Amino acid sequence: MFYQIPEPIEDILLVFSYWDHILSGFILTMWLYAWAILIGFILGLILSILRQYGGKILKIISTSYIELMRGTPLLAQLLFLYYLPTSLNLPTPDWAVVSNFSLFDKNFNIIFLNHRTMVGIIALGLNSAAYQAEYFRGSFMSVGTGQLLAAQSLGMSKFEGIRHIILPQALRRVIPSWSNEAAYLPKYTIVVYFISVQELFAEAHYIVAFTYLSLTTYIIIAIIFLVLISTISKGLDVLYNRLKIPGL
Amino acid sequence: MDEYVLRVNDIWKSYDDLEVLKGVSFELKRQEVKVIFGPSGSGKSTLLRCINLLDPPQKGEIYLSGLNLMGEHVDLNEARSKIGMVFQHFNLFTHLKAIDNISIALRRVKKLTKEEANRKALEALERVKLAKWADHYPAQLSGGQQQRVGIARALAMDPEVILFDEPTSALDPELIGEVLQVMLDLAKSGTTMVVVTHELGFARAVASEMIFLGEGIVIERGTPDHFFTSPKSERVQQFLKQLTILYGTHEKLLEQGD
Repeated sequence: MFYQIPEPIEDILLVFSYWDHILSGFILTMWLYAWAILIGFILGLILSILRQYGGKILKIISTSYIELMRGTPLLAQLLFLYYLPTSLNLPTPDWAVVSNFSLFDKNFNIIFLNHRTMVGIIALGLNSAAYQAEYFRGSFMSVGTGQLLAAQSLGMSKFEGIRHIILPQALRRVIPSWSNEAAYLPKYTIVVYFISVQELFAEAHYIVAFTYLSLTTYIIIAIIFLVLISTISKGLDVLYNRLKIPGL
Repeated sequence: MDEYVLRVNDIWKSYDDLEVLKGVSFELKRQEVKVIFGPSGSGKSTLLRCINLLDPPQKGEIYLSGLNLMGEHVDLNEARSKIGMVFQHFNLFTHLKAIDNISIALRRVKKLTKEEANRKALEALERVKLAKWADHYPAQLSGGQQQRVGIARALAMDPEVILFDEPTSALDPELIGEVLQVMLDLAKSGTTMVVVTHELGFARAVASEMIFLGEGIVIERGTPDHFFTSPKSERVQQFLKQLTILYGTHEKLLEQGD
């Protein structure tokens, strides 16, 4: 008599038979995440410097941007960007950067860049910038103004002082609070599902459509996110401790 | 060249409605030590920050070796590199070792090579007797040591004048002596200094002139002898009496040396 595999295990195995979809979705999620956090980092840093150290007008511009982005839903921003070209009657050329490869007899066809993915990356990056800017600003304030004064008193320009004195300290100090953004952002990437980018969450829908195993599928996806985000948090913790200034 | 290293003429400074400086003037020759003292809120620290234009005054003139810093087309960064400043709360760069706290401006501002900058920084640390501590971070140093690094940082730039903003008032009493000793050595070796301090012993030992600042104006000025024997204004007499009661004269402390 054959031993019957318990039903939950059978379900899991069935979902995992779609591992190529899970993998390609995961790769795309990481791709979106990496770009969004990078764009958010660079733009956020610029915004926070302008808001903290800029003149009156620059301050107003960056503050307005930050409040606008934080005050409106990410999904609305995404859809706005997505439909903007169409409503302006601009052409949306049909182009794509695709990676084709096969692994263990499964064919992969990952669209790394096309109009939709691009909109997704930009929307996530612009949104993240606003939040990252505020983390940076908090960090600048905690470093204080005394050291910048000292740098200027030695003949450094304000910009040099920010770059060589304030930034190295602020970027160290910001890690614990910034890890919030690093942990939120992978989860936020799922909004691009609404403009049909095939990231992890969209692939989960696909698997559910074929297997009807919604609970099992979503739990597996949730566990993947959990492991990913825990790894990111732990990594940032290690980084923070390694970069700690001796004696502080 | 101007006879004066620093000439401050009729400085006015206000923050919104609050008038902090109301026409302060003084001048400083090479190798002179000027001590500025007075009650808190009298504008002493503001005056120092006005001199290197970290906090520019609304009105007045500041001449550094004849160059009007308030004039147009003045490279303020370059001018500031010739005016050293030592802060009440040290303001060391906490992410840099003692030696790098000093060498960073030599490299970024004076464009020295890393080796030259380090050599100069080490020399400066030797002058404040901290060469052994070169590789320590500020948080690993005592307050007194931190302030000496702060002095070395200003010194290494070879400034024409060094401004001291209450350099000992944030220190534990037993750490004040080592900082004052360093400042005494500097004064005796001919460093031009403007010192805001209440350390009367220090003032008596090296000040060429003392200036009493009160409510934004110079109330009285004169030699240390003048202040300790026959100050004219009642406000000054009162103030000196209180200081003596609080701190003593610090004469003993200075006699002990290190």
